[in-house]
Amino acid sequence: MALLDVSGFSRYSELRGQILPAGRTHPVDRTNHYSFGTKTPELALPLGVDPSAFLKSCNQEAGVSIDLNHGTTTLAFKFQHGVIVAVDSRASAGRYLASNDVNKVIEINPYLLGTMSGSAADCQYWERLLAKECRLYRLRNKNRISVAAASKLLSNMMLGYRGMGLSMGSMICGWDKEGPGLYYVDDNGTRLSASMFSTGCGSMYAYGIIDSGYKEDMTVEEAYELGRRGITHATHRDAYSGGVVNMYHMREDGWIKVCKEDVSELIHRYRKGMF
Amino acid sequence: MALQDICDFQDIFLDRGTSSLPFGKKTGFNYMRGLPFSNSTSLFNFYIPVAEYLDKSPLEFGQISPIQSASTPLSQDVTLPSLSLPENPLLSSPQPVSLPFPISHGTTTLAFIFQGGVLAAADTRSSCAGYVEGPAAQKILPIHSHMVSTTSGTSADCALWKRILSRELRLYQLRHGRRLSTSGAAKLLSHMLHPFKGTELCVAAIMCGWDGGEVHGHLDDTGGTKTDPGGCTETTKEIDKSVDPSLEKTQSSFSSVGGQQPLAREKRNGSGPCMFYVCSDGTRLQGNLFSVGSGSPYAISVLDQGVKWELTLDEATSIAREAVYRATHRDAYSGNHVDIYHISSKGWIRRSREDLKEEYYREKERRERGMRQIVTLSEENMKQTKMA
Repeated sequence: MALLDVSGFSRYSELRGQILPAGRTHPVDRTNHYSFGTKTPELALPLGVDPSAFLKSCNQEAGVSIDLNHGTTTLAFKFQHGVIVAVDSRASAGRYLASNDVNKVIEINPYLLGTMSGSAADCQYWERLLAKECRLYRLRNKNRISVAAASKLLSNMMLGYRGMGLSMGSMICGWDKEGPGLYYVDDNGTRLSASMFSTGCGSMYAYGIIDSGYKEDMTVEEAYELGRRGITHATHRDAYSGGVVNMYHMREDGWIKVCKEDVSELIHRYRKGMF
Repeated sequence: MALQDICDFQDIFLDRGTSSLPFGKKTGFNYMRGLPFSNSTSLFNFYIPVAEYLDKSPLEFGQISPIQSASTPLSQDVTLPSLSLPENPLLSSPQPVSLPFPISHGTTTLAFIFQGGVLAAADTRSSCAGYVEGPAAQKILPIHSHMVSTTSGTSADCALWKRILSRELRLYQLRHGRRLSTSGAAKLLSHMLHPFKGTELCVAAIMCGWDGGEVHGHLDDTGGTKTDPGGCTETTKEIDKSVDPSLEKTQSSFSSVGGQQPLAREKRNGSGPCMFYVCSDGTRLQGNLFSVGSGSPYAISVLDQGVKWELTLDEATSIAREAVYRATHRDAYSGNHVDIYHISSKGWIRRSREDLKEEYYREKERRERGMRQIVTLSEENMKQTKMA
């Protein structure tokens, strides 16, 4: 992979071959282009453990039900003045609300943002790893990493652990030489580019709002309003979304944090409420 | 249940001695008092498969199993004498009936109440597990002149139960001289579906109706109880002068409210728009805004945003159309056309079916115009910077 070479880790597989005897097929031995230079990989899987087989046995028929739903609402859309990113702030553990004030946007660097939906641990870990990788890229190459490349790195990390029970639905947003960029990256390894995304179990409600209000030629204020409305209406109908709306605006000179408003107040403003 | 007795709707699964329900054969059930009915014109003829069939694969569905000893004697005609007669399992516990082929419930239906009555809208795509069965299904079924029901779930089940309900409501109307209220109709439907709880029957309907008014009369409003301020002044003229002081008081109380008292905030005289959601798992909820079906999350947020009491009919129609369009845009199981029905005090009115393809092209056009504007603006900017 070109990125592997640019990042300078082509020697990694040779190094692994020297340490371990040949012929061992272990997920850890696959080319880990994100565990750079170290002798041991970032995640040491215990020998003999096969996470994907274990997870396949955890289904309804066996009496266990591990449901990895992405319980949140996040949305992002591109328009003529950049990218708007809006997320809710609720963290739930089954039926228990762990927190109503979680930050679901990771500020990778002043021109790159990543949103998180799915398992909080997975999102936080892998996006921090992505942040580390982007920083190292910048230091080695004296150029910022592009949004496409950053999202590709994350997507490849996910593919390395495919089927092993990771749960992450993230949107990588930034502004690079090609202009505003927005990518959706999934725990299956999906990587898509489009001008509007919404993830999480409240995403369907948000789609209704942003689909109907979206125009390419929106002003900045209209775009802020649309992002707020989308999250607010989704939190109104979805039990696993709530808290506050954290909104960021990605501009040519970097991102700014627009607002952090409580949805319970916003819903009274928006739902004209006949009753 | 009082309502069922009034409607003479007896629970068809009650064991009534000789009219116990045998299986695997057509059975008649006379419940109209004093009216002779032959088997062929009986009101509930349900084919209920023999319990042994339930484990069979679809290919073997319909094959007759070997004769077993009969458990109960029959007094009615036996059309298939070779079948065994197990005990009524529905009295003990309802066993899930395995489906012979995969059935899917994909749709978008919605309904809301506003000042002009009730507006109901639905898409028209009928689907069967990923295959679009038909582009022109009718998902909003009129029950009687002042009530419609939007249906979601298995289309066969919905169509059957809607017909049964219409029949029951018409009989009620003939016996009692007035239409059954929406609440009563919803209750009746809910009780009719209750015996099937736990089976694969799937009906999720929104009953939308306008209650009130005699069938052969008019709304009585003696004493100026009409909430409409215009009407109030008219009725006061008709009333005796001796009663005037009290009427002035009520008039002033109306004006102090601002003359904006909507008709159905509290339903006076039991009339006005009414909406109930009835589901085959037993749910029966009254509300002012419902959306049901696989496309409902997309539609309901658009409705939450725009629906308020004071909407005009045109605004309400365009919001309903927009909501269904958004749902069809994102949901694979909804699409094709949108049906909109409006229920008012005069009854239901159906708008002509609108193709959502037009809406899609209109929106595409709008977006392209927006893009062209941006391009021309940026070109102008570039020209200006060059000149400067």
